[in-house]
Amino acid sequence: MEVHHSLGSSTDWIVMVVYFIVIMGFGSYFSKYNRTTTDFFFGGRRFAWWLIAMSIVATGVGSHSFIKYSAKGFEAGFSSTMTYMNDWFFVPFFIFGWLPIIVYTKIRSIPEYFEKRFSPSTRFLATILLLLYMIGYVGIGFLTMGKAILPLLPPEFTIFGIHFEITLMGLIVVIALIVGVYITYGGQTAVIFTDLIQGFVLIFAGMLVFFLGIDYIGGFGLFWELLPTTWKLPLANFNNPPGFNFVGIFWQDGIAGSVGFLFMNMGLVMRFMATKSVDEGRKAATFNILFMLPLSAIVVGNAGWIGKAISTINPSIVPPDTNPDNIFVVVANVISHPGVFGFVMAALTAALMSTVDTLLNATAAVYINDVHRPAKKWLARKVKSIKEEDKQELFAARIATALFTIMGVLAVIPFSAFPTVYEAHGYFHSTLTPPLVVAIFLGVFWKKFTNAAVIATFVVGVALMVLGMYYPRPLIEVFAHGTAYDPAHPYTYIGALYNLFVCVFVGVITALTRKQQVSLVKKIKSNPNHKSIVSGITFLSGAFFVMIIFNVASLPILMILSILMLIFVVISANYYSKYSEETHTEGLTVWGLAKAKEMFKGSKVNETDGEVIKVNWKLVNSSEDLMCFSQNDMKKMSANPGDLVYISDARKILGGLKSVHSTFGKPHNEDGIVYITQEQIDQGQFVAGKILTAEKEM
Amino acid sequence: MITFADTWMPFIYLYVVGGLFFLSGMIIVKKAKAVNFEKKRHRYWWNISIFGYFYFMAIHAIFIIAALYF
Repeated sequence: MEVHHSLGSSTDWIVMVVYFIVIMGFGSYFSKYNRTTTDFFFGGRRFAWWLIAMSIVATGVGSHSFIKYSAKGFEAGFSSTMTYMNDWFFVPFFIFGWLPIIVYTKIRSIPEYFEKRFSPSTRFLATILLLLYMIGYVGIGFLTMGKAILPLLPPEFTIFGIHFEITLMGLIVVIALIVGVYITYGGQTAVIFTDLIQGFVLIFAGMLVFFLGIDYIGGFGLFWELLPTTWKLPLANFNNPPGFNFVGIFWQDGIAGSVGFLFMNMGLVMRFMATKSVDEGRKAATFNILFMLPLSAIVVGNAGWIGKAISTINPSIVPPDTNPDNIFVVVANVISHPGVFGFVMAALTAALMSTVDTLLNATAAVYINDVHRPAKKWLARKVKSIKEEDKQELFAARIATALFTIMGVLAVIPFSAFPTVYEAHGYFHSTLTPPLVVAIFLGVFWKKFTNAAVIATFVVGVALMVLGMYYPRPLIEVFAHGTAYDPAHPYTYIGALYNLFVCVFVGVITALTRKQQVSLVKKIKSNPNHKSIVSGITFLSGAFFVMIIFNVASLPILMILSILMLIFVVISANYYSKYSEETHTEGLTVWGLAKAKEMFKGSKVNETDGEVIKVNWKLVNSSEDLMCFSQNDMKKMSANPGDLVYISDARKILGGLKSVHSTFGKPHNEDGIVYITQEQIDQGQFVAGKILTAEKEM
Repeated sequence: MITFADTWMPFIYLYVVGGLFFLSGMIIVKKAKAVNFEKKRHRYWWNISIFGYFYFMAIHAIFIIAALYF
């Protein structure tokens, strides 16, 4: 394969460096909005939909997409767009189910939802799986960034007499240092605002490559003529070749990936947590999927299509054997002028940075919420004040971000063994997402899904997935839809279907046999040696899990061990954890959203629609988190004392940056004036003399 | 040679199997009363959901036809 080095000119490097300084300066400016850990991680739950939508674009599209989909576009054509065009199936589940739940339950992380819905032990298991998933994602991001930047650099250089050889890992370490410093300082608000710029820039840069490429080839007609028909089809062949086929991609990306991205990607979930309301979140999600994803599919894949067309006309310029992971950079270099190439590359690396910084911020959020705080509670550490605690957590969050950056770099090592980023990402996605995806999905939409069922999904589901990896032919072949067996990468994509199936099977079978489990545990409890019996069972299930992970016996024996393990895990889960279908589902599933809303507000919900009004503010001396409006203004908003209010700087361009949530207090008689406290002014960062808009939330 | 497995079979599979997920989602949220049809906003989001399904179906169909006949 053709390896490229030293692409681009000094002008390109100047453009790239200037771009990064501007972006980092812009992000750093917004770090002043980080007053608390809520601000650092969630941006204070205040932003308008368009700001969040652009941020999602930068995060989603930036996720190694330019490299990955251009590579597939070069190899397979327009079907590289498949992954971007199959998210809609889960939109009803998301906008009517998961989105309201994450907002109304006030959770700060997905594992916290698991504790509320199931038990603390489930939260513990979910935290491990989620952290593994996110660190792996960071690793993929770093690997992609390294692969994108490497062709720009010379193979070696000498500075002050010291000779440096440029390696992929060395480059990744340097990139990680830059990203780590930036995100550790900036926080979520910085991420959202830099994403806003980067979202626009990367869409522009991707379209620029497309138009410059079409122009280079000689017009759209010629481009269309040059590509063979199979390249122009939007969906790949049903089940062939094993390295890229429709059915495998459908189950891996369309099902496991889409649910994974929408429901368990903490980076994305935190974006929705940063929206000012559920309705704004719905707008952001639908706008992104309906309009931005089809556009993004062209943006990220077109360099591959252009590369294929150029390689047909002139193979000396773009050799057909070019490394697919380099095709974006190679094509951008061929079709651009100096400076423009630098801009395109800056956009690409910035896009990748958006993904990595989002994930690092989200990983730190999970750490603080699901490791740091529970550990502190467990150690019974006393803290003097809330402010001091927040300061301490903010510091811990920054340290955690730095540590996760290092772990992300280490995660690059196994991923770099795959031939392309696409394969690495495919393998990663199909193996790590199914247990969490199934657990979240069944937890949210099925009231009968129990604590024992989710633990069985995590433990036994994972064990059966591992068995699938060791014995792909007997286990996965039945799900393969006729996809050929490739010994080097057996059932890379369709493996996701097997993994989903075993996790759903274990979860459903456990949930449906709850009555039998309860009576069995009752019987065990009636035995005087019940503690020893259950300890033994728990130990055995752990031993069986290790035996399966290390593949110490033949498949039939390991399958028997899996069944035994399922029984033992279920007994242990029922014995140790108290689970009640009433208390653990109230307001936590789609079947109890009205209750969730009431719990969010703390009183009966006021559903009457009201107006959005404009007001001036007046400072009052109070320690209560209440805002007082005039009687007439409250009438316009259809609000009563105790209802929730959202107040924001009236300048729409700020997208809610200067805003705050509060509760309506007793009305006064000064129309057009809101009485607010110093703390609310500080939180909202309101400017004296600037008009505010106010609206009733519920 | 371009076969059925290259063209319409993936399309049918995508919108039938994917459609089953979509339909089950719509049924669950309706049965769970997560959608309140008395509210104008909810009716709007419900209609958007249905529109989105056919919107993507149309995009894919148009691209397949364009690849085959133009």
